[in-house]
Amino acid sequence: MTISPVVLFWAAIFTSNILLSNFLGMCSYLSVSRELESSLGLGVAVVFVLTLTCALNWLVYYYLLIPMNIIYLQYIIFIIVIAATVQLMELVIERYTPALYYTLGIFLPLITVNCAIFGVALFMVIRKYSFIQTIAYAAGSGLGWLLAILMLAAIRIRIREKAIPAGLRGAGISLIVTGIMALAFLGFSGIVTVQ
Amino acid sequence: MKQTPLEEKITAKMQPGVITLNGFLGEDDRHYHAIIEEDEKVLEALGFTAEVIADRLEYFTKGSFGSYEGPILIDDIYEVETDVTRGRLPCPFSHPGVYRKTVTGLINLNNGLSIRWSGLSIHLIRAHHFFEGRGSTFRLEPELLVKAIF
Amino acid sequence: MLAHILSDIAAASAISSVLAIALVVARKYLNSYGDCRIRINDKRDLVVKGGNSLLSSLSEKGIFLASACGGRGSCGACKCKIDHGGGPLLPTEKPLLSVQEQKDNIRLACQIKVKMDMQIALPEAVFNIRKYKAQVIEITDLTYDIKSVTFQLLDPGEIDFKAGQYVQLETKPYARIKQTTMRAYSIASRPEDRDQIELIIRLVPEGICTTWVHKYLQVGEQVNMTGPYGDFYIRDSKADMIFIAGGSGKAPIKSMLEHLKVTGTDRHMVYFFGARTEKDLYLTDLFKSYEQVFPDFQYIPVLSRCDDGAEWCAKTGYIMPYIKEVLRDSRNTEAYMCGSPGMLEACKKELLALDVPNDRIYFDSFS
Repeated sequence: MTISPVVLFWAAIFTSNILLSNFLGMCSYLSVSRELESSLGLGVAVVFVLTLTCALNWLVYYYLLIPMNIIYLQYIIFIIVIAATVQLMELVIERYTPALYYTLGIFLPLITVNCAIFGVALFMVIRKYSFIQTIAYAAGSGLGWLLAILMLAAIRIRIREKAIPAGLRGAGISLIVTGIMALAFLGFSGIVTVQ
Repeated sequence: MKQTPLEEKITAKMQPGVITLNGFLGEDDRHYHAIIEEDEKVLEALGFTAEVIADRLEYFTKGSFGSYEGPILIDDIYEVETDVTRGRLPCPFSHPGVYRKTVTGLINLNNGLSIRWSGLSIHLIRAHHFFEGRGSTFRLEPELLVKAIF
Repeated sequence: MLAHILSDIAAASAISSVLAIALVVARKYLNSYGDCRIRINDKRDLVVKGGNSLLSSLSEKGIFLASACGGRGSCGACKCKIDHGGGPLLPTEKPLLSVQEQKDNIRLACQIKVKMDMQIALPEAVFNIRKYKAQVIEITDLTYDIKSVTFQLLDPGEIDFKAGQYVQLETKPYARIKQTTMRAYSIASRPEDRDQIELIIRLVPEGICTTWVHKYLQVGEQVNMTGPYGDFYIRDSKADMIFIAGGSGKAPIKSMLEHLKVTGTDRHMVYFFGARTEKDLYLTDLFKSYEQVFPDFQYIPVLSRCDDGAEWCAKTGYIMPYIKEVLRDSRNTEAYMCGSPGMLEACKKELLALDVPNDRIYFDSFS
């Protein structure tokens, strides 16, 4: 486990994209990808929250859960930390950058239940990342998720007026598109492997 | 159906009495996304885009804007009349900006078809491809619309 | 074993509690802005609790800015100049402000939160605006789609306005409609009657407020309104006056003429009333009678469609061609117009072409 954080960062975006290789964070990915603008808003919010909460969760895990010997409670504790962080960020953003608050505003609370964020926190534990590695991996995963949702949104806008069979409209075609995107990303997998 | 907070807000704004008296969805129980997607399919089959239709509607509304005392004839076969009321309405999709309260009525003298639309309809069609729900006051059936204005 | 479980639960609870307390503390510091001082026009100071929008903070202190959408940031009526403390321009404001307005620090009061001491500038007239409770005492049909509604002011019991200004009427929830809406209507009665006001309201297809007034409002009902608003009123000069109105646009002109009747005037005045057919004419006898009241006044209804044998067929078609006939000295003429925006635009163009100065053409701003 001595992968350079820089490598980890790029790997998280391309070779092991949290969404396209682990299929995490699908619900908001499918439901918010109708428009480019809101996709970007949610994606940026995910990058923010993901990086911040993973750093916090790393500290909580190694400095609280392990010494207190309550690792089995990590699921609950991680979620509580994520929820609290999101709330706190909402307050801070509203106070100091109201313009950003209006852009992200409605997406922030939605992120609490985004499984990509929880997933990254668990990966960081399983793969025994160091603090710096965790931050690099989390930021990369966030950007990877942002990239994926932007691509899907762009594709959905383009295929909106095409003749898609009625049964496949909406979520159906989006899942197929996502599958093809995942296959395309598989092409990166030879470059570096992060597990 | 699962909705994002934004979509919930939009659906709420389309209800009666929020922006307009009878709302934008009429008797239609489909989600507005479904309405948009189905109308887009019809439009594509007809070979028109929403932008072209919106431009055409705007052309008629602008052309008859000063005709506050009765209809005027545009392009020899369209009898058009625009009634302008004071005040402006916002877009239910939370787009910034407000749109003039106009109601334009058009009669195509060649085939006798008559339709009417509001100033907000033009924006809804151009920016959101939204022709409103069935039974709504300003529902525009794409097929009928295309026959009437082209 | 039990001790284990209990200590684990305690540990988990402790972590959660720490986070919860952190949130509460953060909220206390981040979400409370304490008392903020709003300095208005460099002479009045208001102290309000921070955290609310400027619009509602001001209205709590009895200062009512115009707002047609009720603070939803869509009408752009609550524009005001904020010299200090407004923070950066928000994306919700931008579409409603022109480039020049953005340069001049004009902002939307409904979108701005009071977070610190502020310096703002408001027109003096704003301090005269109050919220009124009023009771409907009379509803009269003027035409098939226009009603006159008279209100008795209850609290406060008197209003001080200029002839031509408007009030905003607040609808109550009715039928399928669950929220209140504010809409602007010009006052039709004269300012000398301080305890009553009359509004003239035309039924608009799909109109939330006009439908309520026409179909649901009853004599005896109590309603809320705010006002007076607007800079549409008679300028004090000796210039000739041309009034142009259509539909319910007759309301402010009626108020102006009734006011002039009290003060007396010998100015040269002509009033064009544009209507579609004879059944759209109303209060014709009243305005005709003013030709005897004033030394130099003419009331000219212009019908666009004239059925055979109708009484008012002298002038038909659009108003524009007839304006030239009554102009004496175009540079010394004021025009007061109220009606549909389409009509206003066409008439303004004609007036400008006839060399009436642009800054002497007045119309009310809520079109």
